[in-house]
Amino acid sequence: MLSLLDRQAIRDGFPLLLPAIPFGFVLGLAMSESAMPIGVAYSSSLFLYAGAAQLALVTLVGAASAWAVAVAVMVINLRHVMYSAAMAPSFEEQPRWFRILAPMFLIDQVFALTSLHTDLEPERFRRYYLTLAAMFYSAWQVLSVLGILFGALVPTSWGLGFAPALMFAGIVVMMLTNRPAVIAAVVAAAVCFATLGLPNRSGLLVGALAGISAGFLAESRSR
Amino acid sequence: MRLSSAILLLAGVSIATYFARAGMILILADRPMPEPVMRALRNVGPAVLAALVVTLVANPEEANSGVELAEVAGMVAAITTAIKTRNLIPTLALGLIVFWVVRAVT
Repeated sequence: MLSLLDRQAIRDGFPLLLPAIPFGFVLGLAMSESAMPIGVAYSSSLFLYAGAAQLALVTLVGAASAWAVAVAVMVINLRHVMYSAAMAPSFEEQPRWFRILAPMFLIDQVFALTSLHTDLEPERFRRYYLTLAAMFYSAWQVLSVLGILFGALVPTSWGLGFAPALMFAGIVVMMLTNRPAVIAAVVAAAVCFATLGLPNRSGLLVGALAGISAGFLAESRSR
Repeated sequence: MRLSSAILLLAGVSIATYFARAGMILILADRPMPEPVMRALRNVGPAVLAALVVTLVANPEEANSGVELAEVAGMVAAITTAIKTRNLIPTLALGLIVFWVVRAVT
């Protein structure tokens, strides 16, 4: 039986799942064209489970050395270290098995939605997290397979690739509950924009760190 | 690419990614964190996700990188809707509609 909390998690997760559909198709298509054996390329959905990094992995293989590919994937995934640090206080009262299992599913969407619910009591937080994790992980497996089989059929001219950016922008807005948070977001976006030329999306990290520092200074000054 | 090297590469980046996601949770969850650290962590969400939005819009890896007028218009519509409704469904819907309309007329 689905509890009320499960249903809320599914309702919250659904709008973020929609934009993942065209992305899954793009990724599946890239997998079927990759220099990587298709079974291994698909396994990245099972084990790496990080859309942008998977896309870099399957497209760069063959065009760059294995080391260069590994570095690119890790630079793209470094933002997860920040997610992990930000989530740590919410795991203080969680059992060991959950601390070990949960990070496997700590993708952008799960981080974004669960950070809006850190005030839930530990047991309910865990349930909410696991429902979202199961929903996104299983959907991603299905989408990757569909993408491999039918990826070439979805026209890119629809511009659905723009949808994830809109969703994350909406979530940022909901996180802006005080002045330091607004300053952090604005500075991060501006610095990221100014450093877009850096390789492997590392402008994202530079921007994020600048935003976190600016938010920190703003909070320190306001007290 | 050889099967063995592909498996090795995927295993390497998967394990490293798991530890990128798990490391801080496993290290920090049992220790009381000093106030300044908590203060810095509070703004990780807005900062990282705002930078992620910019990266997604500008697609630095794609050939047609750069920001289009339609993307800016769609983004402004989405952010305004999110502020007014605090609901993601109309945020996505209005953002996409404005994006499509502006793209069609420009």
